[in-house]
Amino acid sequence: MKLNERSVAHYALSDSPADHMGFLRTWGSPGTPPTPSGTGRRYWFVLKGNLLFSFESRKGRVPLSLVVLEGCTVELAEAPVPEEFAFAICFDAPGVHPHLLAAEGPAAQEAWVKALSRASFGYMRLVVRELESQLQDARQSLALQHHSSWKPTASCCKPQARNNRSVVLENGHPLSKDCSPVGLVEEAGSRCAGLGLAERELQGPASLLLGRGQSPVSPETSNFSTLHDWYGQEIMKLQQHWQQRAQGRQPECEEQDKP
Amino acid sequence: MRYNEKELQALSRQPAEMAAELGMRGPKKGSVLKRRLVKLVVNFLFYFRTDEAEPVGALLLERCRVTREEPGTFSISFVEDPERKYHFECSSEEQCQEWMEALRWASYEFMRRSLIFYRNEIQKVTGKDPLEQFGISEEARFQLSGLQA
Repeated sequence: MKLNERSVAHYALSDSPADHMGFLRTWGSPGTPPTPSGTGRRYWFVLKGNLLFSFESRKGRVPLSLVVLEGCTVELAEAPVPEEFAFAICFDAPGVHPHLLAAEGPAAQEAWVKALSRASFGYMRLVVRELESQLQDARQSLALQHHSSWKPTASCCKPQARNNRSVVLENGHPLSKDCSPVGLVEEAGSRCAGLGLAERELQGPASLLLGRGQSPVSPETSNFSTLHDWYGQEIMKLQQHWQQRAQGRQPECEEQDKP
Repeated sequence: MRYNEKELQALSRQPAEMAAELGMRGPKKGSVLKRRLVKLVVNFLFYFRTDEAEPVGALLLERCRVTREEPGTFSISFVEDPERKYHFECSSEEQCQEWMEALRWASYEFMRRSLIFYRNEIQKVTGKDPLEQFGISEEARFQLSGLQA
């Protein structure tokens, strides 16, 4: 199976933050049956996102191997040589052997097991959704506390239904778990041009709610979509700010990530 | 670079965020447009010959750029070589738009930034770190410093 290896290697070496790194001993390499004898070989490992890379050394410029960490579990394990702080990355896939690794001490072992267990894209997605919903709750309850100090402001237009996600919002369902804030925002944000920087104060969304005659207590869909539009503005501004700091921007292209 | 191909193949069989038959053209000069079943699973884009169970290839979507080309067509390229493009032809403008949006947030790095943003916002509003309840507030991947790129 082909893989865009050059880009993958670039990602491994890029400035984006590594989630964990350190020396580990390994027996065998990805894709080969383990030969658990002796003390194994020591390499420098770098965890980035859901990808575990190994290098010959700390200064290595070419990754030796990659383990994609989706659908795996991480367990403490017995090493072939006693007193090693070993753990195994196990996959539920046919014909796949666990990857046996050993850290240099008990603290390192624990740190690696934790870091690898939380490395999956799915885990990250869960945490993001949870925080997204917590932020809405936090905004709403703070809005209730500031109830008396609002004045109505210009109302924000609703995002038009352009795809399934927007439609779900408008039809009175609670915020769909598939909704990513920026996705909605990039559509909604451009339509809510009336919301200026001044409205980034907390009173912003709250006053919009009151201004439209809605009860902040009732979990009406339009409250969520208004809040979402508002967050979206912030996220869009932050994104634009980051993108401007990065290498220059081409027209009509949506740059997903920056070096 | 060795990689765990079997596990990646298994991943390609997982439920996809998006899957469709599209026209696909590789980045090499003189590449021909071919029909491929294209499947987005987490931060990988797999592509299959339409009658085969195993993918022909996979693209890791970190540091990628999604660009609109001709109507109904978009391309994926990577930050370190933006002219080297994988082209995808959709059957409609709507489909093209859907794919471009889905690919835009299909990276781990994008989610990391979203998470850091939300964490920061929640802290501003409540004064509390929402990651503490999960026991992950000290993890390197969730630090604000990760955004200084």
